[in-house]
Amino acid sequence: MKIFDIIKMAFKNLWRRKGRTLLTVIGVVIGSCAVIVMISLGLGMNLAMDNMLASWGDLTAITIYNYSYGVSDESVALDDDAVESIKAIENVSYVIPRLRVESNMVTIAAGRSDRYRMDWAEIYGVDFSLLDKMGYTPETGEFPSEDEYSSTIIFGNETAYNFRDTRKRGDKQYTWKQYLSDGTYTLPFIDPQDEKILVAINNTKQQNDDGTYQYGGRGYEYELNCSAVLMQDPNWETVYSVLIDINVAKDIIDDYNRRNGVKDANDPQYTYVKVVCDDINDVEEVETQIEAMGFNCSSMADMRGEMKKTLGIIQLVLGCLAAISLFVAALSITNTMIMSIYERTKEIGIMKVLGCYVGNIRSAFLFEAGLIGLLGGIIGTVLSYAISIGMNYFGAGVMASLLGTSGDTPVSIIPLWLVLLALGFSTLIGLISGFVPANRAVKISALEAIKSE
Amino acid sequence: MAIIEIKDLRKTYKLGNERVHALKRINLTIEKGEICCVLGTSGSGKSTLLNMLAGLEKPTKGSVFIKGTEITKLSEKKLARFRQENLGFIFQSYNLLNQLTALENVAMPLMFKGMPRKRREKIAAKMLKSVSLDNRMKHKPSQMSGGQQQRVGIARAFVTKPSVIFADEPTGNLDSHTTEDVMKLMVEMCRKYNLTLVLVTHDLGISEYADKIVHIIDGEITSVEKNISKYDLEKVKVKIGERIEINEK
Repeated sequence: MKIFDIIKMAFKNLWRRKGRTLLTVIGVVIGSCAVIVMISLGLGMNLAMDNMLASWGDLTAITIYNYSYGVSDESVALDDDAVESIKAIENVSYVIPRLRVESNMVTIAAGRSDRYRMDWAEIYGVDFSLLDKMGYTPETGEFPSEDEYSSTIIFGNETAYNFRDTRKRGDKQYTWKQYLSDGTYTLPFIDPQDEKILVAINNTKQQNDDGTYQYGGRGYEYELNCSAVLMQDPNWETVYSVLIDINVAKDIIDDYNRRNGVKDANDPQYTYVKVVCDDINDVEEVETQIEAMGFNCSSMADMRGEMKKTLGIIQLVLGCLAAISLFVAALSITNTMIMSIYERTKEIGIMKVLGCYVGNIRSAFLFEAGLIGLLGGIIGTVLSYAISIGMNYFGAGVMASLLGTSGDTPVSIIPLWLVLLALGFSTLIGLISGFVPANRAVKISALEAIKSE
Repeated sequence: MAIIEIKDLRKTYKLGNERVHALKRINLTIEKGEICCVLGTSGSGKSTLLNMLAGLEKPTKGSVFIKGTEITKLSEKKLARFRQENLGFIFQSYNLLNQLTALENVAMPLMFKGMPRKRREKIAAKMLKSVSLDNRMKHKPSQMSGGQQQRVGIARAFVTKPSVIFADEPTGNLDSHTTEDVMKLMVEMCRKYNLTLVLVTHDLGISEYADKIVHIIDGEITSVEKNISKYDLEKVKVKIGERIEINEK
């Protein structure tokens, strides 16, 4: 028999019993729809979780905190050597050491006669060649070229609001970001990119009445250009801080120690090192290795892992429920096929006597069962899309408020692979369900069959 | 030339603890082009014999050769192929598929052979024409009389141009007038294509159409007699000028 004839025969037989075929197909529709929707919900949950975590920070990053800094020199030092060995770990994309210049060490000033001052500045020394990789992007201006590293300072997006106007008194000294009724917002006293920025070493022995220190003087001043203001970074690390090149930061710390007579200071250790992995899934492994080196670190991966576990359980329960309905659908396919074989016993007998290969008969029945599965899968997929759109339309707000993510995070996601998987799986279910009945059809004795009425 | 050879064929059924010998040592040879009638009462074992010849049942002992092939030893798949190529069947209850038209029913054995639709339906249409049913091609079995249905059955049996046709009480469900029509048609087609027909019946009247009549009683062949087919006799009568109408409706 030609394959085309087998297929035609199967179609005809399904069509002959439209009502029953339809009911069986509906069973599969419900089953496959349940599975697709449940999986799509799971995928939606995962995405929402990742979005939520991403809004809290970079998911591929591991942060190493140096708790032992200045406490004990017996613990592992988070210095350049340590940074090198962390760089050597597999799947580490790059390592960003950050040196904190304590806010009591310097004063930042700008304007004529240092009119504008930032007394308690948060200053980080970072490797200026890694600015892009750290995820920083300039909002205005641009990052320095290599020969400008030592003369450049970079402001966070709201750092300039920390300048106070020393000519004024009381609250008028200060400014902060405020939205105005016309849609704009208040500006800081100065645009740092227009000014020379003075970073001056404090003399902690000379304290002013207002609690600030005397600063600057020959050899204790760094005059820097602000080349860029950063866009807000996802981790909110730079909003109110400034960045300088790591070598400048080391010099500043040395200067401070010299001026204020700090003796036997340790080599500068990084207070904080950020390790960025190649992929979100490498984070856990890299983290374990860093911890094995004796450092304390944390990442979103810890939390992500916990949340994933919880979500996994929810998804498993949902998946099981869906699988049950698909299983019931499979039973109903088997039932339908067995019924149809009973009804067609005589027909099968005649076909056998007239020389039809049993293989052809088996193929026809399997094809019928598979077709029921496939049809159910197709309709189920279409229906799932409709349900998914509906849930995204009505449910997105609920989900967003639950997880605190933005409102456009979909509740349910149906990627192409899920569609293909669902179609393949429902067809497979059909074929499996048809297997027993098809073999039964094949075993029917031709002789008995023709005699039956 | 012998087309069917039956050697020491036996069939024993088990009914509870009892053994029923349906066939006891059957030996028979049927020649090519012969119309052989197996005549016996019900329960004589004649249907069992036919099933054995057609490969529908396996014998307990002995063998059946058709065209030199020992069909009792063929695998299921080879047997199916052998049936496609060499055997045709006509049944008492016609055994047409109710959901198919006359044309599709006749074309079915060709479909099993893997012939494309256009070609097989052309052949089937020709076959239906030769059984004078060219005006019933698109009819379903339920829309036809018993005689018409059996003619569709005959067309289906002949459509593959088999070597041997088996007919099990082909006229059992028909009235005497239609019986005659159907018998004449069957014999005529066999003569036309030089086919062998094995006919199983309990009806003496039908046996008159055969060239050889095999009497079977209680699973044993009691006698084999040569006969001159009624069909040939009538033809001869027509030839010598007697005015006998042959109803060819």
